[in-house]
Amino acid sequence: MVILTGCGPAPIDPQRQIGADPYLPPIHQYLLPPMHTVKIVGWNGAMPSVAPGLKVQPFATGLANPRSLYVLPNGDVLVVETGGPPAPVSRPKEFVMNWMEKATHSHTKPGQRILLFRDTNGDGLPDKRTVLLDHLHSPFGVVLVGNDLYVADTDAVLRFPYTEGQTEITAPGVKLCDLPGGPIDHHWTKSLTASPNGTKLYAGVGSNSNITENGIEAEVDRAAIWEIDRATGAHREYATGLRNPNGLQFEPETKVLWAVINERDELGPDLVPDYLTSVKDGAFYGWPYSYYGQHLDPRVHPQRPDLVAKAIAPDYALSSHVAPLGLVFYTGTNLPAHYRGGAFVGEHGSWDRSILNGYKIVYVPFANGRPSGTAEEVVTGFLVDGDKARGRPVGLAVDNQGALLIADDTGNSVWRISASSHNL
Amino acid sequence: MPSINPRSTASLRGHPIHVMLVPVPIFCFVATLITDIVYWRTAAMQWANFSAWLLVIGILFALLAAAAGLIDFFNEPRIRELRPAWIHAIGNITVLILSIFNVMIHSRDAYTSVVPTGLILSAIVVAILLVTGWNGWTMVYRYRVGVRPEEPL
Repeated sequence: MVILTGCGPAPIDPQRQIGADPYLPPIHQYLLPPMHTVKIVGWNGAMPSVAPGLKVQPFATGLANPRSLYVLPNGDVLVVETGGPPAPVSRPKEFVMNWMEKATHSHTKPGQRILLFRDTNGDGLPDKRTVLLDHLHSPFGVVLVGNDLYVADTDAVLRFPYTEGQTEITAPGVKLCDLPGGPIDHHWTKSLTASPNGTKLYAGVGSNSNITENGIEAEVDRAAIWEIDRATGAHREYATGLRNPNGLQFEPETKVLWAVINERDELGPDLVPDYLTSVKDGAFYGWPYSYYGQHLDPRVHPQRPDLVAKAIAPDYALSSHVAPLGLVFYTGTNLPAHYRGGAFVGEHGSWDRSILNGYKIVYVPFANGRPSGTAEEVVTGFLVDGDKARGRPVGLAVDNQGALLIADDTGNSVWRISASSHNL
Repeated sequence: MPSINPRSTASLRGHPIHVMLVPVPIFCFVATLITDIVYWRTAAMQWANFSAWLLVIGILFALLAAAAGLIDFFNEPRIRELRPAWIHAIGNITVLILSIFNVMIHSRDAYTSVVPTGLILSAIVVAILLVTGWNGWTMVYRYRVGVRPEEPL
């Protein structure tokens, strides 16, 4: 559905905003922002389209809002079925926004649990399914360190004992630390990863608003990546000014932390580009005061020139409103050599742009631990007829055979992308 | 027997509906200016949220009041002959249109939902309300619009 797209600038070609130096048009503040929401139609037997040399298979279907994935050392695949807490209404606009969120996401009630899928015959597809953990509170991030399985609920990091081969965890979780949760909890997905040496956890804590409209006091400890000490649960803000960081991953070659960031809305169809970036210790990336360095956001008051002065630009723009939520570096060997060493990004897709953007998986080539070329489409077909969505990609993972797994929350499926047989 | 005073056709048991409804938008739009000013001075978002709610409620009741007022206006030639009635009607329709723009401005996020455009619109609306209010009272207190004729004791 398109509502009032007539006022405001026409969208530019997203290609102009991919890479290290995106074109940033002038700010346009709307009377009414263009809401171009998708109609959810489901897959009905159809499947995503893949780039040449690849094939797609349904890994799991009939799920309840699968949003993130994690592969255990023995090859078991964890699928997190989750949804956000109910959003409060503090002003009339939120009736509309909450309706839109509901309309454009899966109509299935989220599972709030973690499922375990096991492939026992080596064909890459699971033939055993169990509920590893149930009754979680809007879980998202999962990481295993040794025998400790960490789950990031929206309001806490929990630790569960795990032994290899386990298919069900009945032991209660132990809270490692609290995370900022409700009552507002605007960006509720808490991404999680561990440092390569396993001593620290990193949690993505998104902002509590688009651009401080819930008050700056609601943003305490948010729009940041937290570094959490595994031994004590103590945390510090590793990097700040990151509006909604997800897909936390260490780049395998350089061991540097990377993330994908959802930038702010309602400044025009091409502002502000979402991005992929390495995350520097102590760095400030601008939100809410500025974007891409020192580009001020007039909606934030009072401004903080002291913070803006030290704001740094991110590494790699993915173009505007694509909503990147998944990131995985590819170190496997199953996919064609072309895809080795770079990063796959899952783009959940736009809502405030008259021409939809995202709704696909892209591949960003890397060389020497840095992006080295333009992002290319790898998996598409989530959209049909321009404004109907069969599914929407979120979290990504690589299974033990080297295939790419895609959580599709709206399509209630997990897709498996592997090399088509003639490549083998 | 025709009334000697201009009649209100949109009325409930002899009480004109329009004048029963107008206090709500008048209160809401004046209060919006106040909460806008407080937001402008404090940058505390809750004041801007008040403004957004006040505008929505004000507009809903203003639409109802406008409907009742227009029924009165078009059904009674003696109202349409009054210059204050025209000032009142055109002014208040302007108030309604500006407030609809204003609620859109107030649906933006954070500071620019109020400063400067929202605040300016709220102030213009209150300025027009002073004129339309004055002319509305003129219609009732001088020209007895909607007033029942005096009956012999």
